[in-house]
Amino acid sequence: MAELTVFGFKPGKSVIHRLDVRFKLIFLIVISLASLKASGMSLFLLTLVLVAVLSHAGLSLKPVMRALGYVFVLLFFIFVARALSTPGDPFIEFKFVSVSREGIQQGALVCWRFFIVVMIGLCFVSTTRPAEIKAATEWFLNPIPFIPEKRVATMMSLIMRFIPVILNQARETADAQRARGVENRKNPVYRLKKLGIPLMRRTFETAEKIAVAMEARCYSENRSDPELSANKRDWLALFMVICLCVFILVM
Amino acid sequence: MKIIEIEDLSHRFSDGTIGLDSINLTIREGEFVVVGGQNGSGKTTLLRHLNGLLLPSAGIVRLAGIPVFKDLPRARQMVGMVFQDTDSQIVGETVYDEVAFGPENLCLKPNDIKRRVSGALKLVGLTHLANQRPNVLSGGEKRRLVIAGILAMEPRILAFDEPFSNLDYPGTIQVLKQILTLHRGGQTILIAVHNLQEVIAFADRLVLMKKGKVLRNGNPYELIEELEGFGIREPCPIRLEMEIQSWLS
Repeated sequence: MAELTVFGFKPGKSVIHRLDVRFKLIFLIVISLASLKASGMSLFLLTLVLVAVLSHAGLSLKPVMRALGYVFVLLFFIFVARALSTPGDPFIEFKFVSVSREGIQQGALVCWRFFIVVMIGLCFVSTTRPAEIKAATEWFLNPIPFIPEKRVATMMSLIMRFIPVILNQARETADAQRARGVENRKNPVYRLKKLGIPLMRRTFETAEKIAVAMEARCYSENRSDPELSANKRDWLALFMVICLCVFILVM
Repeated sequence: MKIIEIEDLSHRFSDGTIGLDSINLTIREGEFVVVGGQNGSGKTTLLRHLNGLLLPSAGIVRLAGIPVFKDLPRARQMVGMVFQDTDSQIVGETVYDEVAFGPENLCLKPNDIKRRVSGALKLVGLTHLANQRPNVLSGGEKRRLVIAGILAMEPRILAFDEPFSNLDYPGTIQVLKQILTLHRGGQTILIAVHNLQEVIAFADRLVLMKKGKVLRNGNPYELIEELEGFGIREPCPIRLEMEIQSWLS
């Protein structure tokens, strides 16, 4: 589960750890949106800020980069697609394929933005307790009518908790089938069916067990949630983030 | 004081099979009771009636004099239940959150929740793992975490369903020690097992079940020769004509 462990809460005492989760969620959204409009220069600045924040939060860059391997693969495909599909000055031409200067520029920019959004998300997840994220979700959903915010928040936190369990079950089932030579069957539909059905059955059985276990511990929608409190530090951080975003947009 | 009174308890499942058949059982506060029987004998069904996860088709279960069905939240708070499959019992994303789940459900104040969680984690020796994610814990640690989650609700009775299944030797020792510590602290303990080896030396009473009926109820040492008739293997020392010794010695 190495690829998942990087996206988990890392306890710490940094300023980012102590900020109110609602503010952090707003920062996440605002900075991500601002970065979508940012130029190369402001992306550079934003990257510097993010690296500083990550190291302040106690996350070392090396393991983070290693764990983000799949993201880099995705970014590479985005880059290639952009480079090939943007018209402009040809940079490389080979038969009927041409890569334009603008394409390379655009591709690099889009990848950089996307990478920054991932890093902001990582920064948020690793400095915030899952229970706080749940409480903030509830807080933001509260004014919206017809949405049972407590139920949505519980579902969200259960999904976060059970993704590793389901992945483990999938791997176990796949291993057990490989041990009985499923690889000799070349039909992907057959293999998907043989993996999917038992996995679904096990997942539903697990869900049933969780429901009973939660009931045994008096679960109801009327329960105490973590208290959220904002102070001067949070408002100061909000001011700084707004300044940063304005700077990014005008640069 | 009688803490659990079960009178003529019967349970019939929706498909018509009989889960429990006219069970009468009384358990005193502070007792260590082992419920033995082979798979399908009705042990789990019996435990689930104690906190109202299942309700009887006939008969009644009383906890400290009050029928379970009259106040389900009270019954669930009073009887802490540790299930066989730990992975599907842990709902928190971190060890701390998992233990806080029960007290949060009881609508306690944040300070009380904090106090109970740190108390329970200390009791099972998991304080240093409070911020870890549950899926990185070992089998024994996971089971102790589940116990902490129950203890934070301050129950009077602890019901364990196959607490040693899927555990290695060190894990079993950890969990057994934990259970014994809790019993010494005055908790009423109820353990359902199909293998008596680990617990028989500590039990005050042994209840043997078969096909949903309680057929024997008494001193474990007096019932030991009848075990194999109930689909339970005799503990090794008995087979070797030796005296039963504590699994911890």
